[in-house]
Amino acid sequence: MNPLIFTGIPVGLAFGFALQRGRFCMNSAFRDIIVLKDYDLLKSVGVAILVSMIGFAIMDKTGVISISPVTFWWGANMLGGFIFGIGMVLAGGCASGITYRFGEGMVGAMSAVVGLIFFGLMTSVGVFKPFVDTVRGATTITTADGANLTLANVFGIPHYILALAIAGVVLILWAVFAKKGESTKGEESASLRERIFKRGWGWRSTGVVIGLIGIAAFTASASTGRMYPLSITGGYLSTTKTLIMGQNFMTWLPIMLLSTIVGAFLAALIAGEFKLRAPAPKTLIQCFLGGCLMGFGAECGGGCNITHILSGVPQLSLSSILNGAFIIFGCWAAAWFMFLRPGRA
Amino acid sequence: MADETKVDKTLDVRGEICPNPDLKTMTALEKMEKGQILEVLVDYPLSLERIPRNAEKRKHKVLKIEKVSGPEHRILIEAKANK
Repeated sequence: MNPLIFTGIPVGLAFGFALQRGRFCMNSAFRDIIVLKDYDLLKSVGVAILVSMIGFAIMDKTGVISISPVTFWWGANMLGGFIFGIGMVLAGGCASGITYRFGEGMVGAMSAVVGLIFFGLMTSVGVFKPFVDTVRGATTITTADGANLTLANVFGIPHYILALAIAGVVLILWAVFAKKGESTKGEESASLRERIFKRGWGWRSTGVVIGLIGIAAFTASASTGRMYPLSITGGYLSTTKTLIMGQNFMTWLPIMLLSTIVGAFLAALIAGEFKLRAPAPKTLIQCFLGGCLMGFGAECGGGCNITHILSGVPQLSLSSILNGAFIIFGCWAAAWFMFLRPGRA
Repeated sequence: MADETKVDKTLDVRGEICPNPDLKTMTALEKMEKGQILEVLVDYPLSLERIPRNAEKRKHKVLKIEKVSGPEHRILIEAKANK
């Protein structure tokens, strides 16, 4: 066993801590563009992607890591992303959302995790595998020499130049347009310790910290031979396979994931936010079914929202950009149906 | 002081998943008369942060946020009917 897999522990603890403090959930981020019109989490996601994009570009250029996009299988990306997006609305959280709320003691999130594992395994090794393999096989596109597509290799521009250019343009636009309406409301004086451990983090801090954890994750994970930053679903599946199949699948990723749950638990405990709490039975089943859709979607499209949106988009992966867009479409379709549709119950 | 505030309606959204605490609160506020007081019992940290913010944005007045125990909080909001 490579001892470097245990670098997953500090990364996971930090990730879980940051997820819980920042309430980092892409389901809320995307859903509330249309439902609550609250954009704070969306901004966190944007900042995290930007920070990782810059970090990955520099690390790729300096040879610390190499950009490793998921395969572009457009049919599987669109189908998997859309179903994942529907699932996370039903489950009340994306892959990172249900993971940190698992640590917070929310039984609904635990129910979603069980569904995610169940259908995730059915899709990656079980009854849905032939179907998914067929969809992937029929819709795979790579470069002429077989590399996975990114915006950089499609346009023939060196990765670091394109990534830094995109990040630069976005930062400039942000600086120009974000000024108005951004009232820094009178922050009551609180000690740094209080603000880190006891209160929810603002969107800027959350985004920067999660982006930096993505960078640390890529470096740590690459040191064990796994050339990819943060993921979540794969970690659940490897852990479960290890428990059930009598074979050790515990690599960097599952160790990181288990530490993420512990990190979120510790963050909630310190802040006094841990409590075992459950919704009504009907909602628990809804969470489970949502988790099932997420498990299928993630294993069909090649990853959950963390693999694709948080880790893949900063690598300019075409697969992740398409998959991410369809996660958002699925989320909006389900959110519209559940919360906005005229005449809903 | 808290006990002296007259509460017109109580909404218990403890244990509920995202985004139900937020949505139920906003729906309840919209149905209330101007000046009526809504009491929300909530234990979901994200909603605890967002309910006051979004209620204020919709011109309701947050009177009080008080910790009950652990993540459980009690929020008092005065509805300002938009009609």
